[in-house]
Amino acid sequence: MPELEDQLSALATAIAWPPSPPDLWGGVSRRLTEGQERGQGQGRRAPRWQTRWAFAAAAVLLIVATLLAYTPARDAIAGWLNLHTTIHRTENPPTPSPLPSGPLGARLELGTQTSLDGAQRQVGWSIVVPSSLGAPDEVYVKLPPSGPSGGMVTLVYTARPGIRTTGLTGVAVLVTEARGRINEQYFQKTLGGDVNIESVSVGGHSGFWISGQPHTFAFSDAEGNPYFDTLRLATDTLIFDNGGTLVRIEGQMSKEQAIQIARSMT
Amino acid sequence: MEGRPADDSDLIARAQRGDSAAYEEIVHRYQQIAFRTAYVVTGSAADAEDAAQEGFVKAYRALDRFRAGAELRPWLLRIVANEARNRLRSAGRRQRLELRLTEGFRPGDAAPSPEAVAVASDERRRLLEMVNALSQEDRLVIASRYFLQLSGEETAAALGIPQGTVKSRLSRALARLKARVEEAAHA
Repeated sequence: MPELEDQLSALATAIAWPPSPPDLWGGVSRRLTEGQERGQGQGRRAPRWQTRWAFAAAAVLLIVATLLAYTPARDAIAGWLNLHTTIHRTENPPTPSPLPSGPLGARLELGTQTSLDGAQRQVGWSIVVPSSLGAPDEVYVKLPPSGPSGGMVTLVYTARPGIRTTGLTGVAVLVTEARGRINEQYFQKTLGGDVNIESVSVGGHSGFWISGQPHTFAFSDAEGNPYFDTLRLATDTLIFDNGGTLVRIEGQMSKEQAIQIARSMT
Repeated sequence: MEGRPADDSDLIARAQRGDSAAYEEIVHRYQQIAFRTAYVVTGSAADAEDAAQEGFVKAYRALDRFRAGAELRPWLLRIVANEARNRLRSAGRRQRLELRLTEGFRPGDAAPSPEAVAVASDERRRLLEMVNALSQEDRLVIASRYFLQLSGEETAAALGIPQGTVKSRLSRALARLKARVEEAAHA
């Protein structure tokens, strides 16, 4: 007769566990997008005087935040408030390994490398190439399940006149396109509180200029499901809706430069 | 990326950079063991599902604190089991964990191991009844170690006790179970 411990181990295959939930990830991603307000927004209601003070404090913070968004004023005010530590946003920028060889985009996990035609054959919508930048140096496509519904295409540009390459990546500009739209419910939340978001118009299309090294970004994909993605270069980013295709432009450049590239896509 | 599945450290590195697909893969990989561990702790499938979900949410937010090179599974199970215990505490109750046997092996299941065959089905049922009759503390440590097949480190994480305590608690639980088995054999 087997030892007691062997008998117990043998029972493991015969235990009737309750059926595992079929889609735990669905609930997890929902909570990740909604979680912050569930955890903090609800609960006890503060007494009236506390609320009033909270409003006053929030108003002051809002004014300071707005002033900080203007670059010329930023250093002066930050110095005045001694806020330098809070506006140096260095936590967790994507850190590609400093390998000099291999395709530029492979280390940024942009998906499978392909050609422009190859990418176009794999997605059901039209990829737009910014005419101001011309043909990309590399093209990547990311399809579901790792990419969003409808697929995602990234155009990689090495050095371009007037645009420096970014950090260790060797990349000057990344243009990422996917079918989808900005979901305002979690757009700002997933970007985090450390960034400045400014509404911009790109040839009549609405968009946002996001400055301050944004990290994570979420949008509603072609089926309306939230899709989380990393902003790869940890630089300021322009996001705009190009007629149902959400376009992201990342690179070490000014807002005007980014909008100029975006305009050449509309 | 094609072919061989990515290993945990690769998935974590990607998830730490905000790649949701990598974290989704982690959730898929560990959801079953997370759910069952939470079930052993709470004794309720609904609480277990909630605890597993919330555990994965908290783990995602804590990814930056995950030590490179550490084992992912015990780290995840510790967070999920903590969530499960929180639910017990806030509900102020403890549901009694009642384990049952499947009705034989269903077609399509993996072939039973030789050990499984060796334990005749009647004998199995009687043994499980004796485990169920043990104290909650004894039952939890036996279920974690043998039925969930958790390692010593994972059992400690699931039960929220030091690893040394797992060892001593397990040996006491086994001794008590053995006494009951022998008692039944002589009855």
